[in-house]
Amino acid sequence: MSGVRGLLRGLGTTARTLTRRAHTAQYPHTEPTLPERSRGVIALLEENCTSCMLCARECPDWCITIDSHKETLPAQTEGGRERSHNVLDRFDIDFSLCMYCGICIEVCPFDALFWAPDFAYAEGDIRNLLHDKERLGTFMASVPESALPTAEEKG
Amino acid sequence: MQVVLNWGRRYSLWVFNFGLACCAIEFISASMARHDFIRLGVIPFAPGPRQSDLMVVSGTVTDKMAPAIRRLYDQMPEPKYVISFGACSNSGGPYWDSYCVTKGVDQLIPVDVYVPGCPPRPEALLHGIVTLQEQIAAETPGQARSRSGSRYADRPVTAGEVTRDLVAPPAQD
Repeated sequence: MSGVRGLLRGLGTTARTLTRRAHTAQYPHTEPTLPERSRGVIALLEENCTSCMLCARECPDWCITIDSHKETLPAQTEGGRERSHNVLDRFDIDFSLCMYCGICIEVCPFDALFWAPDFAYAEGDIRNLLHDKERLGTFMASVPESALPTAEEKG
Repeated sequence: MQVVLNWGRRYSLWVFNFGLACCAIEFISASMARHDFIRLGVIPFAPGPRQSDLMVVSGTVTDKMAPAIRRLYDQMPEPKYVISFGACSNSGGPYWDSYCVTKGVDQLIPVDVYVPGCPPRPEALLHGIVTLQEQIAAETPGQARSRSGSRYADRPVTAGEVTRDLVAPPAQD
């Protein structure tokens, strides 16, 4: 008898499911609603980068490559001292190696790296997974407002 | 003719999951009701490699596993496609410096699409599948894609050829 009751209960569950809509997300047609800080891709704000190499040194995978050179600014005032500053030539992240730990973002003292929620950058050629600084810069557009350093000042 | 062939191949990819590590969980998630890649014509749980068109290598490929991957790839009938899913199978990922991890599954078999992530989201796999379908739509039947230039791509190999020899002991003085 209890077997029949169990069977009926199971059929009842099936019948209830029939009345519900499917919870399938229609991904290529609709974008998923991701958490704001989800770890999709690393975006680079180039003007904040001082090529201090902290991110490249802390990266457990060594997937960040930085090249820079020094430029000298002439003295601003009479008898002043010349100043030198770093100019970023190359900032590459190899996303075929990256393990998305976010240590580079944590250690960056100048707020030049951010998480962006983009995930759709599968490539047919593995060489295209090495993103240069221009491509990393394009991801800045999708960095959430609250992650930017300006959000803190606004309060 | 070409359009019809490509159209048929594009939307009936029986997939063979080579799940080796945590990325396989994301693959399973992509196959379940929430993401449901049968919508895209990718049919999971092929009975075996001989009945499948697409192999998704998800996870860390070790040198020990390499002959098995190569053998199962050789058993798949043409046309066959490979998606490398996740950092480990793309290039070794966090283990690129390890003595026993293959530095990317593309050292063994030709890969059509690389999906980055550690692990990638299920949606990233769906994006990879869409990318692969675009590649299939553009190909000439019989002249499949990324295989040229790969070391072993155009001929079946025995397991012995992709197995690394034992390291010889150091020479005695």
